[in-house]
Amino acid sequence: MKFRAKIMDAACLNHFTWVSAMIAKLAKTCTLRISPQKLNFILSDKVANGGVSTWCELEQENFFSEFQMEGVSAENKAISLELMSENLSRVLKTAWNARALKSKLTNKHSPCLTVSIELLSVSSSSRIVTHDIPVKVIPRKLWKDLQEPTVPVSDVSIYLPVLKTMKSIVEKMKNISNHLIIEANLSGELNLKIETELATHFKDLGNPPSAPEDASQDRDPEQMAEVHVDIQKLLQFLAGQQVNPTKAVCNIVSNKTVHLDLLHEDVSLQYFIPAFS
Amino acid sequence: MKSILPIFRCLNSLERNVEKCKIFTSSDLCKVVIQFFCRHGIRRTHNVCFQESQPLQVIFEKNMCSNMLIIQPRVLAEAVVLFTSSQEEVTLAVTPLSVCLKSSSDEPMDLTSSVYSEMFVGPDEFDFFQIGADTEITFCFKELKGMLTFSEATHAPIAIHFDFPGKPMALSIDDMLLEANFILATLADEPSRASSPPSLCLSQKQKRSDLMCSTNNNSKTGKNATSKAPGCILRKAAPKRLYPNETQTDIPALENCGSPIMKRVNEDISEVPESSVSDTEEGPGSSYLRQFSCMFFGAVSSDQRQHFNYPFDSLATASDSEEDMNNGSSSTF
Repeated sequence: MKFRAKIMDAACLNHFTWVSAMIAKLAKTCTLRISPQKLNFILSDKVANGGVSTWCELEQENFFSEFQMEGVSAENKAISLELMSENLSRVLKTAWNARALKSKLTNKHSPCLTVSIELLSVSSSSRIVTHDIPVKVIPRKLWKDLQEPTVPVSDVSIYLPVLKTMKSIVEKMKNISNHLIIEANLSGELNLKIETELATHFKDLGNPPSAPEDASQDRDPEQMAEVHVDIQKLLQFLAGQQVNPTKAVCNIVSNKTVHLDLLHEDVSLQYFIPAFS
Repeated sequence: MKSILPIFRCLNSLERNVEKCKIFTSSDLCKVVIQFFCRHGIRRTHNVCFQESQPLQVIFEKNMCSNMLIIQPRVLAEAVVLFTSSQEEVTLAVTPLSVCLKSSSDEPMDLTSSVYSEMFVGPDEFDFFQIGADTEITFCFKELKGMLTFSEATHAPIAIHFDFPGKPMALSIDDMLLEANFILATLADEPSRASSPPSLCLSQKQKRSDLMCSTNNNSKTGKNATSKAPGCILRKAAPKRLYPNETQTDIPALENCGSPIMKRVNEDISEVPESSVSDTEEGPGSSYLRQFSCMFFGAVSSDQRQHFNYPFDSLATASDSEEDMNNGSSSTF
């Protein structure tokens, strides 16, 4: 099992730092899955997070100038590591002014992701800083939990409003109740409701075009599909979104799941919130 | 300090309005009076109560240390940023060719440990580099950060004097207007090490060569040593006369320098907690270190002659002693 990668470009480094900061806001521990083409951040523990799952995917060649990996075996060309997302985020933040960042998997006393950063110091001489982030290698037998979640067939798909606005509204709503109703229809209307108390209506959001085999084909555009969710889970997701994504879609499976599908330039993030049982 | 800080809070308004500042004590009333003579005939008076306490004498010959480094505070600040804030101790490892600052942790790393970081600084980045012997010393990170914040305000280079593990280290700032020495304890290599160079002995025999320590962490450990710190040495030198109050800083100088931080008024020390230093045994490294702290010395005088006559006549106080403030009078000085 080997992994070695290098980032030379400042913009790439910033973007990667931003991704790790976003993940750090969503979960304390996460799984980093390294495969020849991609990097995935997966929420480790579904149960602890109340059934919420996160799947974040990025193309490695968009970030790393050098990337070499050798999986666990010839058939299993991937490495799965569990780590504290805050650790990775903090380490990357210290590299904000770096010339280069090298990362590799090491095993000194225990497995670590060693990140070595070449910094340009105040006194304009180059300096090397090394960080060892403790990781845990996830054995192959647990890999089945780390598959990409299947996108459920949704009743309604709608584009989300500006996330910052949504976040400030949801934040105020959380003081009233824990229980939030999300409903949307195919006419571009999205409502966030607290039962009999408060509702926020978003209009003219637009709906992504639906595929022919979708259930929503025969659906009355005015009819709302709704899900009852825990407001904290939605809020945690929104809190991680500092920048408005390139694309943000909300897929609702009536009374089952809310699937939030975001695209930030080249990084895709999917977040599944189950309905209140 | 908490009573004094609010008085000197608004630098801008002080600079604009205050023409003269007079500080004096009235010992019969146990008060320190700070008077601001402002424009338009306004006079603002603050009365701060104080308590007499026994001064502590510490003798530490920093110039006798075999290793000395002088570095700009910015460079050290860069290094400090790298370490996660939960870090308790940090290790400075030096060889004649390089200096390495790294996080120190004895526990085997598991997923929840903090990140291990290390940073190398080349000899050319130091203003002065003298390493007598390869050594690695471990000391409290929090103290370093606090002291760095202070030094960044003065912009003066920091001199680090140290020797072998177990012997105290000194961080000093020597500016035109002030000289500050921060003495930190370092983690000794072996618990049974009897290191007591004669120069550091005071009235009592020392088993461990760090100087006065007190419980540092207010919230966790109590004012006195907890049961984790076996054995106590209470070090009290014969009470020595403090700077007489008349040698207080020249007030016009206070005005001219602009920033009140640049001058430290002679302080009567607050009562020093009577807690203790761990003596012979060392418990598990980290809990032990949580209890060591450092001494702050402020030697300030605009009158250089005074300073030469009493080179060691510094006022010693323990760091971060919030409990002191809560004892007795509401504002101690």
